[in-house]
Amino acid sequence: MNAVIARSPVRALARKELGELRRHRMIVATAVVLPVAFLVLPVANLLFYDPARAIGGPDFAVGQAMFCFFLTPVIMPATMAAYGIIGERDQGTLEPLLTLPISDRELLAGKVAAILLPTLSASFAIYLLYMAAVVVVVSEPVRTPALDWSWPFGLLLTGPLLALFSTLTGLVFSARSKDVRVAEHLSGLVLLPSMLPVLLIVTRTVEPSLVAWLGFAAVLSLLDYALWKLALRAFDRERAISTV
Amino acid sequence: MRGAEPAIVCDAVSRCFGERLVLSSLTLAVERGEILGLLGPNGSGKTTTLRILATLLQPHGGSARVLSYDVASETMEVRRRIGVMPERPSLYERQTVEANVRLWADVHGLADPGEAVGRALQFVGLEDRRREPVGSLSKGLKQRVALARAIVHRPPVLLLDEPSSGLDPLAAAAMENLIRGLAGEGTAVLLNTHRLAEAERLCDRVAILREGRLLHLGTPRQVRAALLGHIVEVELAGAVDLPVRRAIESFPAVRETCWAPSAIRVRLTDSERDTPELVARLVSAGARIIAVRPAGDLERAYLELMSQPLPGSLAA
Repeated sequence: MNAVIARSPVRALARKELGELRRHRMIVATAVVLPVAFLVLPVANLLFYDPARAIGGPDFAVGQAMFCFFLTPVIMPATMAAYGIIGERDQGTLEPLLTLPISDRELLAGKVAAILLPTLSASFAIYLLYMAAVVVVVSEPVRTPALDWSWPFGLLLTGPLLALFSTLTGLVFSARSKDVRVAEHLSGLVLLPSMLPVLLIVTRTVEPSLVAWLGFAAVLSLLDYALWKLALRAFDRERAISTV
Repeated sequence: MRGAEPAIVCDAVSRCFGERLVLSSLTLAVERGEILGLLGPNGSGKTTTLRILATLLQPHGGSARVLSYDVASETMEVRRRIGVMPERPSLYERQTVEANVRLWADVHGLADPGEAVGRALQFVGLEDRRREPVGSLSKGLKQRVALARAIVHRPPVLLLDEPSSGLDPLAAAAMENLIRGLAGEGTAVLLNTHRLAEAERLCDRVAILREGRLLHLGTPRQVRAALLGHIVEVELAGAVDLPVRRAIESFPAVRETCWAPSAIRVRLTDSERDTPELVARLVSAGARIIAVRPAGDLERAYLELMSQPLPGSLAA
C-alpha cells in the first residue's frame, strides 16, 4: 500500500494476528461454518436444479449460486476486523504493542494481511470446489452458464477488493468503537448496501461483461483507497489506549 | 546515541486530560545504569509520565527525551531504544511464551531473533517453559515473560509500570534482582511502584509525585532525611557508658540526643555526611556497635509527605 511500510514488522504482526485468530473459537467457527455453508448451498442449488419448477432460468440459478461466493469475502472478514483494534485493547495487549517501532500503516497492514489471507484462501478454495462439483456432478442446462469465464474472472478480480473493503470498514469501526459488538454491527450496516453492485451483476440486471467487472473493480479500488486513508485517520493511538 | 545528556530527561513536562491537569511541569532525569522510582498515590501522574516517555501520550507542555530523542517528534527512534513493561502483563494468553517474546524480537528487526529470545528467556529463568501457553502460567511468571519481552532487544532504557504488582514476596524479590541486574549492565530504569520498601531497596533515587506535581526527588536516604529529619539510631552491645556519652556530646554535628540503656537516638546536622564520623567517635570511645540505622523508613517519610497539605493548594 505504501513503500514506507517495512516488510519485516508487517510480516511479524500478520503472523501474530493469524496465531491469535486461529486460537479464537468464535472467529474460527465463523471462518469454517460460513464457507462450508456457502459451498453446500450453491452446489445443492445447481445439483437439484429443475427447469420445470425453477423461478427464472439457468442464468438466474447460477447467479444465485455466485452471490454466495461474492458474499464470502465480504462477510468473513467482518468479525475478524471488528475485533482487530478494540478486541486487542480489551485484552490489554494494544498498549505494549504501540510502544514498538511500528508505524500506524504497518500496524494496520499487518492486521489487514492477517485477515485477507484466510478470507481469500477460503473464498477461492470453496469456489474451486464448487467448480469441481459443477464439472463432475452438475448437468445441463446450468452447467454451461456455471462454467462461463466471466464468473471466475469477476471473482478473482473483485473478491480481494471486496475483502479489503470489508476488512477496512471493520477496522475503521474497530478503531472508533468502544465495544467489539458495536463495531461488528456498524460495519454490517455499511457492508450490506455495498453488495448492491454484486447483486445487480449476479441477477444479470447488469450483464457480467468484461467492462462491468472492470468498472466494478475500479470503483472498489477507489473505495478501498479512501477507506485505507480513513482507517489511518480513524486510528488514533491515544484514543485507542483510552478506556473511557 | 546522541549527546551526553542523561538517558531520560523530562523538562517541565505537562499533560492534561480534558480540563484536568494530570502532570504539571515535571522535571527529572535518569542516568544510564540508574534506577529511578516514581512514587505517589493513584492519580498522581506516574503512569502518565511513563506513557509519555513510551510515546503513547503526547506531552501538552515541556519536552521529554530518551537518549536525546524527542518523544513527541522522534517517536520511532525512541521506540527502538525503550523496553516497556505495563502494569498488567498484557500478553497474548493463547500463544506460547516463546511466541510472545518472538513477536517483539521480530518487530525490532533483530538479526538473530531466535538467539535473542533464548537469551531473554534465560535471563528471566523461563527457558524451559518457552513452549507453554502464557495463559497457563502464574502471575509472577507472566510478569517475567513481560520483562523478557521488554528486554529482548536489549534496550538502553527500561520503563516499568509497577513491575512487582500482585506478586508474592518471593516473586517480587526475584523481579527486583532482575531489574537490579539490568541496571548493573547500564540500563536506565524508570519504574512506578506503590511498594515503598521495594523502592527503598531497589531505587538509586525516588521521585514522589502528588496530583501531577513533583514533591521530592532524591536518594531514599535524602528523602527520608528531608522529611523525617537527620535522625540516626545506634544500637550497642552493652550499656551506654560515660566515654560514649562524652564522645557524642563533644561531636558538634549532634543537634539532639535521646538515651536508652543500650541505644542512642541522635539528630545530626546532615546524617549522610556526619554518620561515619559519629561511628568513628563511638568506636574510639570503646562502644561495641551492633547496628547503625536511619530512624524511620521511606514509607514513614512518604506518609508524612502525603499528610501535609500540597504546597500552593488552598489547604496549605
